[in-house]
Amino acid sequence: MTATTVSTIGMTSNRATEPGFGATLQSEWTKLRSIRATWIIVSLGIGLSIGFSALIALTSGLTHESWNDTVRAQFDPVLTTNSGSLFGCILLIVLGVTAVTSEYSSRMMRTTFIVNPRRHQVFAAKLAVVTMLGLAITTITIPGMFLVSQPIFRYYGLETASIADSGTYGPLISIILTQVPNYALIPFAIAWLLRGAASAITVSIGFLWLPWMLDPILPDWVKENVLRYLPDVAANTLSGITKTGSAQYLSQTPAIMVVAIWVVGLLATADFVLNRRDV
Amino acid sequence: MITATGLTKRYGTTAAVDGLTFEVKPGIVTGFLGPNGTGKTTSMRLILGLDKATEGTVTVNGHAYRDKRAPMREIGALIDPSAVHGGRSAYHHLLWQAQAGGLPRNRVDDVLDMVGLTEVAEKKVGGFSLGMHQRLGIASALLGDPPVLLFDEPVNGLDPEGIQWVRTLMRRFAAEGRTVFISSHMMSEMEQTADHVLVIGRGRLVADVSMSEFMRRSAHSHVRIVSPRSHDLVPHLEAKGALVTNGTPNELTVTGLDAPTIGAIAFEQGIPLNELSTQRASLEAAFMELTHDSVEFRADRGPTSDIAFA
Repeated sequence: MTATTVSTIGMTSNRATEPGFGATLQSEWTKLRSIRATWIIVSLGIGLSIGFSALIALTSGLTHESWNDTVRAQFDPVLTTNSGSLFGCILLIVLGVTAVTSEYSSRMMRTTFIVNPRRHQVFAAKLAVVTMLGLAITTITIPGMFLVSQPIFRYYGLETASIADSGTYGPLISIILTQVPNYALIPFAIAWLLRGAASAITVSIGFLWLPWMLDPILPDWVKENVLRYLPDVAANTLSGITKTGSAQYLSQTPAIMVVAIWVVGLLATADFVLNRRDV
Repeated sequence: MITATGLTKRYGTTAAVDGLTFEVKPGIVTGFLGPNGTGKTTSMRLILGLDKATEGTVTVNGHAYRDKRAPMREIGALIDPSAVHGGRSAYHHLLWQAQAGGLPRNRVDDVLDMVGLTEVAEKKVGGFSLGMHQRLGIASALLGDPPVLLFDEPVNGLDPEGIQWVRTLMRRFAAEGRTVFISSHMMSEMEQTADHVLVIGRGRLVADVSMSEFMRRSAHSHVRIVSPRSHDLVPHLEAKGALVTNGTPNELTVTGLDAPTIGAIAFEQGIPLNELSTQRASLEAAFMELTHDSVEFRADRGPTSDIAFA
């Protein structure tokens, strides 16, 4: 993993070429992979989300005979398996936040910008490694949660789904694709702005989940005019968790726009601020 | 070559660094001296582009740091050796820096060897001692084999052997023609290492002189006398033009006459002496005096008063 790997950068560096984006990317990846916390987050994210989904599937199987009609109507062999995402999402938030704040708390951020004063480049490279690792996690957890639940549903005689159906993989893919921007990148941007892990995690969780938690008590006009323009709410319509007819429902293109505007807007703000602020 | 022109950093109304103008030249060790909290670290951060100057400019080899594309080959810096992630190994701490700077991986092994950390390369830096952190920080600075080196308090936390090692290293770098800029709040440290000193007090430059000149100008030597009849001696010394001050009852401090002359006068007058010794003002004392003055200047003459000793 370390000293024995032969690097190709030695060849170019002898000619004193300036390091490009690839060099920064490689450096940021080394930072992320060389601390144990990263791998604890990855394994907990995968383990807890799949494990929790299996547990919910088991609970569904054990209790489904006593369900009333409303609960029975809510059961969905695809979306019910997504319950473990709660853990996956928390760990994506932690990943996005700590990739930034661990450098502020250790004051290593100064070394980062002494080594490479091009701050946009460092920002972009960090964004890229967090995105890639985040996608790697969701690509395992989302199908994993689905696949681990189906045999349990089948065993208890509940409705099952096949991953080969477009009605199955469609929502799964949209969950994979929206979870990373929402739960890793928005917290990543917030972390650059706030520079502290505790505050960034708290603000991220509040921003992403408060609307969802307040949902039952808010009047419809708030849901229609405010909530549905929030990134997490919009993502839920994309993945089919929020159904047509709900006050928060947005059609696909506006929902994609809402998520994109929030994510890009916050990232651009964070990059702008980073570039102007003293380290 | 590091060039600062009117470099100023203000936080609200307080100026941490106030109108610094200086040049740090290659081939010598330049010391950057001042009591703690007088703007040394802020100046270093301005040089490295971490903080934005409120006014003025500072360049390294003619360019602002933030415009540089491969700064590791140009300038190596140690500003805060404890600023490392404790969970990362020394090897990986240097590896990510080498990669970011586009440097070959074998440089990591080279610098680990140079600072004597090869054996602990795979150990987590969280368990390192203060001295090991310092060595690791120096290793980082050396990764790009840069012609300009900048060290903020490099001997902090080092044992005597480590201090000796850093001194030798700095001297060697300067002899190789590199620009070596070291900050310190310890005068004695500079006395052994620096060829030239910049003294800073309250964010202002109070001296920009060669080390030998600094010592010559600052050394007010005086003679200390202890005698049971010291009072009888005073008029005779003053008659020869000496300035005499009383210390404890039997003790006198004399300036303006050297020890052999004072001894001869005492012998002529038959006054017994218990002690007769030349006291050279320590560089530390001179430094305190110098930076103390700068504070007074500032209070008396407002923010426009400038270099007191340049």
